[in-house]
Amino acid sequence: MANARSLVKRLKSVRNIRKITRTMELIATGRFKKAMDRAVEAAAYTKKISEIVGDLGRADLKFSHPLLAKRVEVKKSVLLVLTSNRGLCGGYNGAVLRNTLRQMKQLQEDSVECTLEVSGKRGIKFLNFQKIDLDRTYTHFEDRPTFAEVDELGTRFVDDYVAGRIDRLDISYTSFESIARQHPVVESILPLSNLASNSGATTEADSDRGTDYEFQPAPQEILEELVPAAFRAKLFKCFLDAAVSEQIARMVAMKGATENADEMAGALKQQYNRARQAAITSELAEIIGGAAALD
Amino acid sequence: MSETNTGAVSQIIGSTFDAEFPEDRLPEIYNALKITETVKGVEISVTGEVQQHLGGGKVRCVALGSTDGMVRGMTVTDTGGPLSVPVGKGTLGRVFNVTGDVIDGRGDVEHDERWAIHRHPPKLEDLSAKTELFETGIKVVDLLTPFVRGGKAGLFGGAGLGKTVILTELIARIASAHGGYSVFAGVGERTREGNDLWLEMQETKIGDTGRSVIEQTCMVFGQMNEPPGARLRVALSALTMAEWFRDATGSDTLLFVDNIFRFSQAGSEVSALLGRMPSAVGYQPTLGTELGELQERITSTSNGAITSVQAVYVPADDPTDPAPATAFSHLDAFIYLERKISEKGIYPAIDPLASSSRILDPQYVGERHYNIARRVQQTLQRYRELQDIIAILGVDELSEDDKMVVHRARRIERFLSQPFLVAEVFTGKAGKITPMEETIRSFEEICDGKWDHLPEAAFMYVGGIEEAEEQYNRMQADAEK
Repeated sequence: MANARSLVKRLKSVRNIRKITRTMELIATGRFKKAMDRAVEAAAYTKKISEIVGDLGRADLKFSHPLLAKRVEVKKSVLLVLTSNRGLCGGYNGAVLRNTLRQMKQLQEDSVECTLEVSGKRGIKFLNFQKIDLDRTYTHFEDRPTFAEVDELGTRFVDDYVAGRIDRLDISYTSFESIARQHPVVESILPLSNLASNSGATTEADSDRGTDYEFQPAPQEILEELVPAAFRAKLFKCFLDAAVSEQIARMVAMKGATENADEMAGALKQQYNRARQAAITSELAEIIGGAAALD
Repeated sequence: MSETNTGAVSQIIGSTFDAEFPEDRLPEIYNALKITETVKGVEISVTGEVQQHLGGGKVRCVALGSTDGMVRGMTVTDTGGPLSVPVGKGTLGRVFNVTGDVIDGRGDVEHDERWAIHRHPPKLEDLSAKTELFETGIKVVDLLTPFVRGGKAGLFGGAGLGKTVILTELIARIASAHGGYSVFAGVGERTREGNDLWLEMQETKIGDTGRSVIEQTCMVFGQMNEPPGARLRVALSALTMAEWFRDATGSDTLLFVDNIFRFSQAGSEVSALLGRMPSAVGYQPTLGTELGELQERITSTSNGAITSVQAVYVPADDPTDPAPATAFSHLDAFIYLERKISEKGIYPAIDPLASSSRILDPQYVGERHYNIARRVQQTLQRYRELQDIIAILGVDELSEDDKMVVHRARRIERFLSQPFLVAEVFTGKAGKITPMEETIRSFEEICDGKWDHLPEAAFMYVGGIEEAEEQYNRMQADAEK
């Protein structure tokens, strides 16, 4: 019965794991709903403000905001990596980090100096293990990042960029499209011109119509206000996307894990029953055989 | 006993029979009795071995041949001593059955002596105490279960895991490089395999001497088709011949037995017929004694050595079954074949964690070898522990350290495979003999992470680690085409 005992032990541990994964699945489902509402709300705002920036860029070519200007020579760049603080979310972190490593390699080939800023314990752990130096790390962004928290980063990036301390800002995160589609991407969000043209693509038809704005006050003032706002909105949107994607990834992963655990528990239970029955049968056979031999 | 002592058959039950003798002239226990008579034009010749004295002049015997056609009242002749087999250099190159008759159809065997198959094991004071490594050129064996020269190695495994293939491979590797004599005992296995082996031994040459292996080998067969009595005694017949080589010539002798389990099984088949009460799982109560009597004789003395390799069938893949469990305690090196590994297509399907060897100890194999073997086992052990977690949560949830362990363990697992010399015709891959030093270095480098960049497939069926790299380059070249 030594075999049966070890099977019982394994069965218990599998059932315990199942309890955890099932709970995580339920929690993730709850959090996902809230995170998605926020992301969807922010998406509309971000899209509109990007459109306006794009339109403005086209409307008035005489003036350019420093955040929109592309640097001729890119020397220093910052790569912001958004990962989760917690595990049990399948390939979510792995995919983002794989992209990050690829991007770093690319930057290295282009001989651009790259400093890393990482949010999320998982990413920090992984990059530390790879012996990659991290410039800054954040672990306070949970599933509900607030605008104020993100804005702190945004302000610093804007200042650094305007002052010329950095020439480029890339962000590696998981972009959220719909419940069924999220994919890890690396996007360049400074200079903002990339962003404007990215989002502008969808509004190409509108701008072709030649939407004419009348500026009040002067376009320059509007731009000064609007461009940093657009950047912050975009940055905030990235954090929201990452948060909602994390919850979806966790939901899917935990659902799969629960199913796997169920399957495994079933198989173990069957094995145990068989081992138990075999032991009983052989003992019976021995007793009967022994009794028969004594007759 | 000058005059022949005769009796009559009084009862026949399956492969056992009773004979009646005059009360004052009972044949001794283990004496061989002969029955030679012609019944209805069919010549019947059976040898029996006395197992019990029943009282009233009756003795109970195990038949070493088929009891077909035997009738009560047949005349039984006491040969006056136990069964004996011819021994000596004349036995080399020949094939025998359990009673020591040649069955290869090449005429009589020249011999000066016949030795009884029941003998005492060597005395305690005569036993050899030296322990020396025996290199096989098989990576997994040399690294994790090094063989002992003059020791015993067991190949345990369920049905169809390749016990016989590994045994044949070892014969091809060891016997062809070995100067001494070899004895092969076929106990209750397929007759076809025995025939294949015989033919192969005629073709395989010893080193560059141009002589075939069979010229230094004698083979004794009591295969599946034989009655239990024959399978019960054939191992002893072969062992007796091996003992002569050890004691009379003082040379290093190899003894291969395929399959020791059939010996226990045959014992269990006759046990109930002899009226013994079955013990655990229906085995004979004398299981331990029977096996002990055989195994204790397979040993090295100060005079000469017998190195033996034995295949042990594991019924229903359950190593706790009494027959393999009893055999286990007699061995120096213990190789366990695992179905899960053979299912992955990794051959030899040796379980690196369940297998062990007495001399895997820094004292015998050296500090470096020992440490690397342990590191390999630790890596694989950790991987096995993680397997449940991976099955449920996926590899992504492991910590970075554990991911690295899994990464290396999967490579080690595959690197433990090796193309075999005897499997060359089936796999189309040339057999690889990997020297011990290369084996140790290769595994050390994998553990150190030097070969992490190669894909898993590159590690399958290669010799040294450099061949894995070559295989990878070849794979890439093929992919480009």
